[in-house]
Amino acid sequence: MIDRIANGFHPFVLPFVFGMVFVLSYCVYGIVKILRQLPAEDRKHFFVTLVTPKYIVKNVWDIFANCLLHVKLWKRNRLLGYMHSSIAFGWFMIILLGHIEVFLFMPSRAKFFYYPIFFNFFVAENETTLRGSLMFFLMDFFLLVILSGIVLAMIKRIRSRLFGMRRTTRPSFLDTIGLYSLWAIFPLRLLAESFTADISGGSFLTLPMNWLFRQFLGNNLNMLPTWWAYSIVLGIFMTILPFTRYMHIPAEMMLIPMRNAGLKIRNARRGFARTEVFSCPNCGVCIDACPMSVKKANVKDCTVYLNRQIRRNNEKRIEEISDKCLLCGKCTVVCQVGVEGSVLRVVQRSTRNYAINQDYSCIDVAPFKSQVAASSGNVLYFAGCMTQLTPSIRKATISVLEKAGVKYKLMDPDGGVCCGRPMLLAGRFAQAKEMFDRNVEIIKASGCDTLLLSCPICYKMFKDHYDLDGIKIVHHSEFFSQLLDEGKLRPKMSSEIKYVFHDPCELGRGEGIYEQPRTVLRQLGTLVEAKQNLDESICCGGSLGSLSLGFEKREAITRNSLDNLCVAHPDTIVTACPLCQTTFGRYSDVPVKDISQVLDSAVGEKSA
Amino acid sequence: MATEQSPKVSTPRDIRKEERAQRKAQRQGADAAPERKLEQVIIIGGGIAGMEATKQLLSLGYRPVLVEKEDHLGGHVASWNRLFPDMGDAQAIISTLREEIMDATIYLSTEISFCNRLRDGYNVMLSNGVNVLARAILMSTGFTLFPAAKKEEYGYGVYDRVITNADLENWFNGGDDHRIPSSPKAVGFVHCVGSRDLKAGNPQCSKVCCITAIKQAIEVKEKFPEAEVYCFYMDLRLFGKKYEDFYIRAQRDFGIHFIRGRVSEVSETINGSVQVKAEDTLSGRPIKVVLDMLVLMAGIVNNPDNAGIAKQLSLETDTDGFLRSADNILSITESPRKGIFLAGACTGAKTVPETVAEARSAALSIHNYLKNLQ
Amino acid sequence: MNFGFSLSPSSAVNLDKIDLSLYHKMEEIEPDVRICIGCGSCSATCTGQPFSGMSLRKVILAIQRGRENEAREMLSGCMLCGKCTMVCPRGINTRHLILSMCRYWDGEDHGYNLMNEVEVKI
Repeated sequence: MIDRIANGFHPFVLPFVFGMVFVLSYCVYGIVKILRQLPAEDRKHFFVTLVTPKYIVKNVWDIFANCLLHVKLWKRNRLLGYMHSSIAFGWFMIILLGHIEVFLFMPSRAKFFYYPIFFNFFVAENETTLRGSLMFFLMDFFLLVILSGIVLAMIKRIRSRLFGMRRTTRPSFLDTIGLYSLWAIFPLRLLAESFTADISGGSFLTLPMNWLFRQFLGNNLNMLPTWWAYSIVLGIFMTILPFTRYMHIPAEMMLIPMRNAGLKIRNARRGFARTEVFSCPNCGVCIDACPMSVKKANVKDCTVYLNRQIRRNNEKRIEEISDKCLLCGKCTVVCQVGVEGSVLRVVQRSTRNYAINQDYSCIDVAPFKSQVAASSGNVLYFAGCMTQLTPSIRKATISVLEKAGVKYKLMDPDGGVCCGRPMLLAGRFAQAKEMFDRNVEIIKASGCDTLLLSCPICYKMFKDHYDLDGIKIVHHSEFFSQLLDEGKLRPKMSSEIKYVFHDPCELGRGEGIYEQPRTVLRQLGTLVEAKQNLDESICCGGSLGSLSLGFEKREAITRNSLDNLCVAHPDTIVTACPLCQTTFGRYSDVPVKDISQVLDSAVGEKSA
Repeated sequence: MATEQSPKVSTPRDIRKEERAQRKAQRQGADAAPERKLEQVIIIGGGIAGMEATKQLLSLGYRPVLVEKEDHLGGHVASWNRLFPDMGDAQAIISTLREEIMDATIYLSTEISFCNRLRDGYNVMLSNGVNVLARAILMSTGFTLFPAAKKEEYGYGVYDRVITNADLENWFNGGDDHRIPSSPKAVGFVHCVGSRDLKAGNPQCSKVCCITAIKQAIEVKEKFPEAEVYCFYMDLRLFGKKYEDFYIRAQRDFGIHFIRGRVSEVSETINGSVQVKAEDTLSGRPIKVVLDMLVLMAGIVNNPDNAGIAKQLSLETDTDGFLRSADNILSITESPRKGIFLAGACTGAKTVPETVAEARSAALSIHNYLKNLQ
Repeated sequence: MNFGFSLSPSSAVNLDKIDLSLYHKMEEIEPDVRICIGCGSCSATCTGQPFSGMSLRKVILAIQRGRENEAREMLSGCMLCGKCTMVCPRGINTRHLILSMCRYWDGEDHGYNLMNEVEVKI
């Protein structure tokens, strides 16, 4: 292989060089900015992990699997996975192979960073280069892979349902330019390489095209303009990349090591949160997942748009989007890059200043303490605020405890102090903390070793936020499953009754309790499943997570969730959350019961 | 199911033929007076509205066909004990009406299988296999009492001492109810259960619960003079004839306590009584009281059975969920569809006298309609 | 002549003179504030009520009839548990209303604190 251009330079590379220098400088600037925004201890810890072998291996593997192969997308939809990984991995391979070519054939040019990109323009084949044919083949092969991905991407614009997506994100103006320049890059590369294939070598794709062009063009005059065009679209793409959704490419490579290092969002817009926001590829998978987006409503309030508005610093929209969300967490589960939609929203809420700050110093916990200390029992049952409005749950739970011979105490027979989670979800952390402190005092005074909760909202709060010195925190569904295992309850099995279990957000996605309630139900009747269940269950619409979503706007959400639950025609919808039960109860034609009620009616008299 | 029991199915062609024959017979029948075939009118729903309309149509010279899904006539009133404002006997009213409609065709325990529209009338297939052709249909399908268990926080079906207004009437009628204590010390009435409540799916006022609660409170006080009786209300709406007198009697003669505040929670005490929580909004203080019996004034909501029939007849529902009249002032008893008339609580909550008056008015509307067709 | 009673100027609500700016702000944010029927369900069910005397019904009245210090105190006892939202027969989004009142109580927008460093675990 020999140099075609003596000094190894041609002006057409300039647009690309400009774009590349710009995007690299921008990334360096971005990385420095984000690193500076991290709290000092987080930054230090992050640097340590970057040089720790265990983390290095994990980081490299995660970046490879997520950024190039898009493993998670493959799991969601194969066509979608292929489309993304063909472009990402194919492009990566072309760049890599370009570098290998330079090192193999033109080591003296390795110092020009544009050389691997435009290699075929600068070199001419001679007899000795036939050994390059493998490289040429691979180059053509990966170009074909990318082109197939681009074709799919074009089809997806028109028929997203083929890719398992009912709705996709509406691209912004710059995104559209980025998209079209990205689509143009590879066909132009194919054209450019085809024009030079007879000079600098080619393979199964470029050689026949070269022959074809020669048939009706007869000269090589088109060569230079296509290489120019190729360089220009590359330049455009690189230059606008920081301002488009394609920023997710470099940002995700930053996000993965940061997440592996265990960093968490500590500020609404800076540091880790910023990395997450920039890592959002705007794929729109969260739109279909969002329970609010049913009937085409609230589409612009999904996480993808939150990320976009945060990038634009549009405070009004950030506030609207943050306040409307039910915080069910489903967008986080389906997100390919792991943007934590709920956390991002809560942290936005936490930035607000209030004229009145709640103060609970007037709460005297002494009467509660003496009440829980007076009675005997080792299980402390905290029904919670919501359960006060569903007396059936409290009554059934107590009845089951009696039948199983459990020694229990009631923490809030006549109302108590809120667990603090609703306040926490409103972003008012200090106020929530004050509430937990009051509850911790009461719980510790009880001398019990187990805290039993029937509301997943309280459960998540106690489990994740309270320091209770070894007191076991259990949700009633968990506790019932345990009582059944221990043989303390002998329920009557009625296999003719079909139950479906609705996974409440806080219990399922929140705490990963999927199996225990199902274990209980399998011993009571036939368990059928909803269309979307487990970590993809659909929020009932009653969530306290949303601040601004009004009562009437929630009806469609609830009905959609009910339809999802009723696909297998259950006789009873069973849930394990008082809020879900009340919400479903308003619109459901099928009876909605709490797991405690179903169990209580199946366990006749005291069986222990 | 045995095939010979399945009803004869008429094709639309048959029906048209039959219809033509019938009309011809009617035209000719005018002369042949003794053998004259009377025009049929279908009345769907045998409550007081349906019964009163049947009675009126009979006297106007029609042949009403009254279809009732229950095995008895009288609807909700049949299960009531005494009626305001004069404490009249509900059973007596029903029996009077029943006697007056002996000549009508009455199908009990019968539902509408399907109905379809003909050129100037309707073909209604009943669940008993009878096929009725008529040029006019009267919908007197009534209402449903709000299922009180839906208002979970009040504990109906959960606590033993919580009953509804209907349960109490049933007990007044001599029915047995273990939930009603033999000598209660305190009894509470909760107004607006499932009425004026968006959460219960019914934002409308049920109109009759205020006066019913006062009537029942007085009756409870008569049975248990020792008991304290509390009425928890949001607003007292006593608009009807002599209602205010009832209110005054309840206060002055029976010492019933009226508390302006909606009950928000009901919990059970250790001995099985219930404790209710409300805000006494007039004093601005939270209020709690332990009661031996709590009566929920379940409101009047749209009868869900209406939806099926309404769909087949292309009737619309109004924004309040009840059937829509052609006009809510001048033509309450007429539906927007030709030949379909409405009477009673299928268009909204009504008192007994209002329903009866509306049924008469509907009968007259039907008469005028049919007269104008000929 | 004094018959032993008089209307003290401080207790009478003079609708011509009261400051309704907060109420108007709330109407803008949560228009349903207008449809309260004062049934008292929210106050009766309130988790914070036994401790702080919180009564949303009174707070809403207070901002319609001229602000009172009592209302401010009540708001500061709210736990935001959402029971009032659950029981409100008119479907008012009471939690949002309370949060918004707490935010704009003195008629000012106190803005955001974007530099805040917090421990976020939800």
